[in-house]
Amino acid sequence: MRTLKLLYAGEAPMDYPRWWRRAVVVSAAAVLISLGSMALQGLNLGIDFEGGTSFEVRAPGASVADAREAMTNYNGEEARIQTVDDQVIRIRSEVTDPALAAEIRDHLNNNLGAVETFEQVGPTWGSEVTSKALRALITFFIVVAFYITIRLEWKMALGALVAVGHDILVSIGVYSLFQLEVTPATVIAFLTIMGYSLYDTIVVYDKVREIVGRLGATERYRYAELMNLALNRVSMRSLNTSITSALPVVSLLIVGSWLLGATSLQEFAVALLVGIIVGSYSSLFLASSLVAALKSREPRWQQIDTKLNQKGLTSEETRSIDRRDAALPDPRATNRSAGPARSKPVATMRPANGVPPRPRKKRRN
Amino acid sequence: MPSRQRLYLIGILLLSVASLSLTMWWGNEPLLGLDLQGGVSVRLTAVGEADEEMLDQAVEVIRARVDGLGVAEPEISRTATGVMVSLPGVDDQTRALELVGTTAELRFRPVCETLPAVAEQAPVLAQGDPGDAPASCWPVLTGEVIPATGANGLTAHEDDHAADFVVLTDELMPGETITRRLVLGPTILTGDGLSDADADFVDFTWQVNLTMKEGATGIDAFNAIAAECFAGTAYCPVQSGYGNGQVALVLDGQVITAPQIRATSFQRDAILISGSFDKQSAEDTALALRYGALPIELVAENTQLVSATIGEDALKAGIIAGLVGLAAVALFIVAYYRILGLVALASLAVSGSLLWGIIAHLGTQSGLALTLAGVTGIIVAIGVSVDSNVVYFEHLKEDIRDGRTARSSVDRAFKIAFSTIIKANTASLIGAGLLWWLTVGAVRGFALYLGLATILDLVATKFFMGPMIDLLARSSWFKHHPLRFGLPADGAVKTIGEAK
Repeated sequence: MRTLKLLYAGEAPMDYPRWWRRAVVVSAAAVLISLGSMALQGLNLGIDFEGGTSFEVRAPGASVADAREAMTNYNGEEARIQTVDDQVIRIRSEVTDPALAAEIRDHLNNNLGAVETFEQVGPTWGSEVTSKALRALITFFIVVAFYITIRLEWKMALGALVAVGHDILVSIGVYSLFQLEVTPATVIAFLTIMGYSLYDTIVVYDKVREIVGRLGATERYRYAELMNLALNRVSMRSLNTSITSALPVVSLLIVGSWLLGATSLQEFAVALLVGIIVGSYSSLFLASSLVAALKSREPRWQQIDTKLNQKGLTSEETRSIDRRDAALPDPRATNRSAGPARSKPVATMRPANGVPPRPRKKRRN
Repeated sequence: MPSRQRLYLIGILLLSVASLSLTMWWGNEPLLGLDLQGGVSVRLTAVGEADEEMLDQAVEVIRARVDGLGVAEPEISRTATGVMVSLPGVDDQTRALELVGTTAELRFRPVCETLPAVAEQAPVLAQGDPGDAPASCWPVLTGEVIPATGANGLTAHEDDHAADFVVLTDELMPGETITRRLVLGPTILTGDGLSDADADFVDFTWQVNLTMKEGATGIDAFNAIAAECFAGTAYCPVQSGYGNGQVALVLDGQVITAPQIRATSFQRDAILISGSFDKQSAEDTALALRYGALPIELVAENTQLVSATIGEDALKAGIIAGLVGLAAVALFIVAYYRILGLVALASLAVSGSLLWGIIAHLGTQSGLALTLAGVTGIIVAIGVSVDSNVVYFEHLKEDIRDGRTARSSVDRAFKIAFSTIIKANTASLIGAGLLWWLTVGAVRGFALYLGLATILDLVATKFFMGPMIDLLARSSWFKHHPLRFGLPADGAVKTIGEAK
């Protein structure tokens, strides 16, 4: 609470570098668990990806809820149920085993109405769609890496990609770990998470660049210390944005699924919520630590490091930078005019009919 | 400078009011997707043997055809014996059938002769000798070859071979009767030679623009017949009432269009077909030409109205939850930033009204469907829009803490914050653009909404939020009551600094 208060007051109470190492360990563990879970149990892909069995039941007047109830014992939550011409209920279940499908047919015959057709259906989200989306994603990563390299620098591009990759892996990992059903909406949620995470990381990096650009030239601080100041200054922004982004999702989770019982929205909201939290976390802790590690190896920052070490300031402790020292002007905010002071030096000949050069003094003997 | 800012403000406010009132005036409404409101589903059954691979291929062709705009988000799946297609929001079942289509190959054939609708008189036979030519109309004009026709005077479907002479008629809409029969020469070119077809609005009429592929099976073959048709030789004789010979574009045994050829040779990408097209028919024609070939023949078995897949209960819950969420965001932002928070909400309202106008317009005019995926894109965009404000406000605070006056901080902070916002939003736009170009289906819908909302966020930030805060900053109120704006008092820095 005290930290929050100080953050609100614009102070720099957080010692981010101290958290970085732990964050890397935690993230690595989370990624490993995600990968392990994906390798061991895979993902629970819905009917849109895997196909299943479609039943058409003649049941005039029956509602979708009735049908869902009839399917309770057969994973009814995940079945896709529609009414057709108000006469027939079409149930698409992800069941692919013919024996089980026949059992469901008998069950529906007894409990809902006459089953008119039941047949195997293919996926609506075919492999074609997936492969196109994957190709688009890879292109996207390459283009965005170029973009960040141009606007910021390549080390930040690398950091951003690692952070985004981490967020996606962890989000997918949550789906695999808890075997939540993956639907097209989930895929969209993953894409959303990716966009959000990248956006967040770039906002943080821009702050870092601003601070480093202003205070780096003083050569009095290590890169990690400047980074720490930038992260502290952007913390309130990250917190507020996470809150405003998460509020609609939390509302979807609490109001939508608990109070109103629309469970199909629940898993979707879980994916988004996990993504938003992980996205903000990775920008502040993961993307920044990677960039700091890369940057401190640069000769310039190495030099500053040895200089500070000679002064007896060890790198063990991150010095927080005082507000008065931090208040240097940002060059981006002032329009530099090319006034006379900045005109290029010119060499001209003295005019021939001007003042003649002073004659050399005669030496008196 | 201030007058320009004021101009921006007035401009954007007028624009958003115009967007809302025009949407109401035109009665535009967003078209809800299949998952949210249901639509028509068409069951297609394959004629003859069809293996899974062919059906999968058919699914892709139909997806491309139905998804002409790319965001209608149909649901297409392979069934045991064919393909099931569901279209959102379409309540006209014949139009759904038309869109889905069951066509096979697109063929380009020269028009040899125009016959009346009913076969009663013997065709007039031509005389003379045109020289030997591979795909000439001559054999049929002299009566040397008589095309196979059925009882109605038209070539039956099973006799419709690419290399034969055929008698076909125009594509008929329900309720139309045959007005003419066309004797067509052997196929010169198939849909493989066509690389693209678009509807274009040129010279104040709707036209269909064809782009052919390069080489012998593309533009060269087309130009070879074009030269004959333009001159009206025996390969492609001039029909009475026309000035030049015609080439018929035939899909599935129906003549889609049979334009006169008005030039001897064409640029590969500049073949314009004009005629009595309106917007709809030009687009449908272009679509049919573009996605001509299906690997198998499919017959529409039935069409049915289907309900939403998400279910009304979920939809209602989603809307209520969304409103509650929005209210919570509003509360939070106003509690935290006070008057600045109100400005942020107004900025959100501005971009929201523009977005609503665009979605409703595209939904009504171009069949852009708003699915759950699209709604997600928008919800995330709300978060991002609010963030643009947060980035700016936090900068403002910081500058004031650094010892600047509130007034002088406003200009400075906006420049820095806007540069950050542009950087971050550009990354989102790159993502949205690439996903839009390179993907199909639901992902495209998401990309479109994300891109739209991001652009509108930039617009609202630059033209509304910035100028609005600038305007407020000029008031003495702003100077004397920083706390009402959620800002620290001038000089707060010193007290905190000295307390240490």
